[in-house]
Amino acid sequence: MGRRRLTGLALVAPPVALVAFLVGFPIIVAIAYSLGQTGGLNAAQSSIALHEFSARNGLVTTAAYRSVLADHGFIVDLLSTLWVTLLSTILVLVISWSVGLYVRFSKSILAKALSALSVVPLFIPVVIASYALLAFWSGGGFVKSVASQLGFPRFPTIGYSLPGVVIGEVWVNVPFGVLMIVSGLQGVPDALIEAARDVGASLARATRSVLVPMNFLPTVIVATFTAIYVLGSFTVPYLTGPTAPALLGVDATNTFEAYSEPQQAEVIAIVLFVLAVGVGSLYVWANVKANRATELAR
Amino acid sequence: MPSVALLGRRGLIVALVLVLAFFILGPLVWLALWAFARSWQYPSLAPSGWTLSWWRTVLTTPGLDHSIALSFIFAPVVTAASVLICVPAAYGFARYSFPGRRALLVSLFATNAFPKIGLYITMAGMFYTLHLMSTFLGVVLVQLIGTVVFMTWIPAAAFAAVPRSLEEAARDVGAGRLRTFWHVTMPLALPGILVAVILSFLASFDESQGTFLVGTPRYITMPIQMYSLVLNYPQQAAAVFSILLSVPSVVLMFLVRRHVMGGRLAEGFQLK
Repeated sequence: MGRRRLTGLALVAPPVALVAFLVGFPIIVAIAYSLGQTGGLNAAQSSIALHEFSARNGLVTTAAYRSVLADHGFIVDLLSTLWVTLLSTILVLVISWSVGLYVRFSKSILAKALSALSVVPLFIPVVIASYALLAFWSGGGFVKSVASQLGFPRFPTIGYSLPGVVIGEVWVNVPFGVLMIVSGLQGVPDALIEAARDVGASLARATRSVLVPMNFLPTVIVATFTAIYVLGSFTVPYLTGPTAPALLGVDATNTFEAYSEPQQAEVIAIVLFVLAVGVGSLYVWANVKANRATELAR
Repeated sequence: MPSVALLGRRGLIVALVLVLAFFILGPLVWLALWAFARSWQYPSLAPSGWTLSWWRTVLTTPGLDHSIALSFIFAPVVTAASVLICVPAAYGFARYSFPGRRALLVSLFATNAFPKIGLYITMAGMFYTLHLMSTFLGVVLVQLIGTVVFMTWIPAAAFAAVPRSLEEAARDVGAGRLRTFWHVTMPLALPGILVAVILSFLASFDESQGTFLVGTPRYITMPIQMYSLVLNYPQQAAAVFSILLSVPSVVLMFLVRRHVMGGRLAEGFQLK
């Protein structure tokens, strides 16, 4: 038994070490930097940093956090990020479940068309997708052109705006959502649904009481992965979003590149990370709950 | 009346398909039209003339052949490195139990949870110290991070789905561990591994932020060039380049679409 455990650990060591070195270690260094440790590995960044806060007593200072969190612009960006994330996640779930339920109950050509359509965004690089969405929804795009032809030249432009970002984020995340929910729904055998209908349940009731609870885990997976993606996203809000308010991913990049404030940029990144970890813990909790249920059922 | 309800339901489904088609395909078709447009005045719904001249413009852009070549060098290298590092680990996660197994599996996902820009700021400092900035290895490492989740989680699920009874049967008739792995486990897990390979290839191919930070000005890949094209050229040129940049994605995903849509994806993301 001991040798097998060692072999297992040895096999998984390479990617774990890589992630520890390229992600884990930088995260720790970033946290230290945000708390005022401006020397050592952070010296290179520190030399070009503006408005930096060093820990005078040698350990930590919350000055950088206080400065960022007190900034009104940051709070607006934070709230914008949160509602864009929430709305995108909800829309992705709605679309995924709609497509999933239809594909589950029908083998028609329309069902196949829905599946195929939903997966198309996977084929397109995010940079291209963002650009295409911007061209389509913004000032000179299709939507505005149609509106103008129909006599509504003042139709709202959805490019370079937060609703535009929501459209972009939903577009990019629909494939994963649909694949996950379709896969989850296919995993529920027809026999279970038929049994429910045999005792008199309508299709709607069978869906609500059988399919939905059994797909709790895939739904949580879609929600958490989408939320984490949108929280930290850069390309979509950078290309399709407004200059202000900006999503926090864009905010952090601007703070670093345009304003030359790497410490404040790290503070923003850490705020995002805390949010993502919070969402991620939902994912872990859901898995633990599902595993426990499976074990009890045995 | 049942027939009205049926018609209503049918109508609703058709509406859903049309709305989804509009939402998903609309922007792509629109951009594709721009690639062949001579000129296009708002608010007309079609260009005023068609031309291939923008294709000539883009294809003769200085540095384009360079960036295409670089993208096609980095992506296979990164994918190969990812396979070597992560697939044995995937097997370890699937077939071995050891302390911290689930925790380590989840921790690999941390690569996606921390916003990339936050990582890159510190990584820039680290890479300067280690003399990795503007180096081939530096860019490979940055792109490698984006592939780790695909190359461990999905193959792990593929390996776990291979029935142990088959492996045991092979061992029972005297096959060694390596032989069993190569002739029994691998062929069955190969579709899942292939999906992971393609997703990793595309992740590396499309990676822009990190490559920009570490690679410029020496290594300019296609996605980075896209940003400058979008900013400095008219929409037609950007549209042409978008099609060029999407071709590898479309081709590769088309090859594995059956496996991606096959329904085993959900298992790869559940912690067992």
